[in-house]
Amino acid sequence: MSSMNRLAKVLGIVLLASLPAPIMIVAGASFSDSSYIQFPPEALSLRWYRETIIDPRWPRAFAISIGIAAVTAVIVTAFNFMAAYYTQRYAPRIASALELAIFSPLFFPHAAMGVAMVALIAKLDLIGTAPGIILAHLIVTLPFSYRPIHVALRSIDPDLIRAANVMGASEWRALNDIVLPMCRSGILTSLLFAGIISFDEVTVTMFLIGPNITTLPVQIFSFVQDSATPVLAAISTICVLVTFIAVLVLDRVAGLAFFVRRDGA
Amino acid sequence: MTEAEPASPAKALLLLPVLLLLAMFFASAIHLFSSGFTDDNGWSLRYFRQIVNRPDYHVVFARTILSSLVVSVLSVVLSYPIALLLWRTDRWRNTLLIVVLVPWLVSLVVRTYGWLVLLGPKGVINAMLAWVGVIDQPLALMFNDLGIIIGLTHVLIPFAVISILSSLLAIEANLEEASGVLGAGGYQTFRYIVLPLSLPGAFTALMVIFLASIGAIVTPILLGGMSHQFVGSQIYQEVMYTFNINKAAAWSICLLSISFLSLLLLKLIERRLIKGQE
Repeated sequence: MSSMNRLAKVLGIVLLASLPAPIMIVAGASFSDSSYIQFPPEALSLRWYRETIIDPRWPRAFAISIGIAAVTAVIVTAFNFMAAYYTQRYAPRIASALELAIFSPLFFPHAAMGVAMVALIAKLDLIGTAPGIILAHLIVTLPFSYRPIHVALRSIDPDLIRAANVMGASEWRALNDIVLPMCRSGILTSLLFAGIISFDEVTVTMFLIGPNITTLPVQIFSFVQDSATPVLAAISTICVLVTFIAVLVLDRVAGLAFFVRRDGA
Repeated sequence: MTEAEPASPAKALLLLPVLLLLAMFFASAIHLFSSGFTDDNGWSLRYFRQIVNRPDYHVVFARTILSSLVVSVLSVVLSYPIALLLWRTDRWRNTLLIVVLVPWLVSLVVRTYGWLVLLGPKGVINAMLAWVGVIDQPLALMFNDLGIIIGLTHVLIPFAVISILSSLLAIEANLEEASGVLGAGGYQTFRYIVLPLSLPGAFTALMVIFLASIGAIVTPILLGGMSHQFVGSQIYQEVMYTFNINKAAAWSICLLSISFLSLLLLKLIERRLIKGQE
């Protein structure tokens, strides 16, 4: 019996280690000095990081991605907070209908989502613009940002707010002094989660870029198809680093338990 | 916060932004349907007829559905040992969770690029095998269905781990103890207690992963190449190279129908399975 347990454990460790393996190998290759992808690298150098920074297209795409992710995260979190606050406090009857509607984009396969979004953004004449990409990202991140906010809001005892109101606190004051601080980790989770998803989104975004604007993942995608320089390894490593730091921050400020908590939400 | 309070109508404006986003999403979905059934001259089934009449398109559909099935089953099966490992660890769970979450959240294109580096004809795996002397011709690990399946499975496993782990963490500890006290061994406890109770998580993962792989674009393009198209890569070509949004919409409608039917089927199987255990 214990040998069976041990076997399962070893298998688990091997499989777990294989998850980050491809990106670790890319990270390793990014420090190579040779002009093609090489792992393990023969001579270490920062050559490809230098080339990445010198070529203005990469810093530009990086800045655009960070900007779009930040704007998307703030807007989607604010929107979801407003909606979740209203339904839970004033209209709990529509809560499950709203949730179903918010989760509905998840049932759209990515490719179909891409076509739907390209048609929408084209109708609004926003193809190749930051607002167009942000709008699509708002729709894509909506369900992911809703959950942590909804869970945080639901955990607040309504009597607390009622008590505050009885003591003479205005609605606004109660929101500011009680609800927002108690939802802090839910809001932060939503901000970071939506930010990471927007920063890394490629499948829908690649339909919406234009000559003046492209995001980092989409630019990596177009480079992968026609060149194989280790610049891609360097830029990929930077992408991984950004995501890694965001996950660490998430762990610090809100904890990662949110991802594996099953509370019916 | 569960009990409702009376609200002034003005407060309902708080719902407006989200409703606006949802309205745009639903409008785009409806528009997708109407444009699939139209061509330049109005309503028409032309693009559906084109899709149905091309045998090479049938291959694309078959490949997409079969590969997605393989990917979903493979992802769930391979995720179990990882989820069990994380479930069994207390002290290191958070660290191990980061090992799962970071690859999950890193851009799809970056992870797929990693597999390109590994699986290519001059890639790390082939170079290593040649160095060891096992092969003298590079193995064809990509630009075929194998490459797509490896790439997609790797991309989607973290989601299955998270989903199964959520189910496992919801199992009450005393259930396992009870099983042990009653004389069940590790395997029996797993087979009759842990596995059935984690099935809902596994099924959620199966559905989401099937949906994600059937609609994938980036991984099939990069690891499958031009000769191994997926429905997603066909859609991408229709939009980006032939600028035929109507045909892309027709493809998308087929894709949506397939995923809807598969979800229905999976739901039925799930109900059967879970009922059979009670």
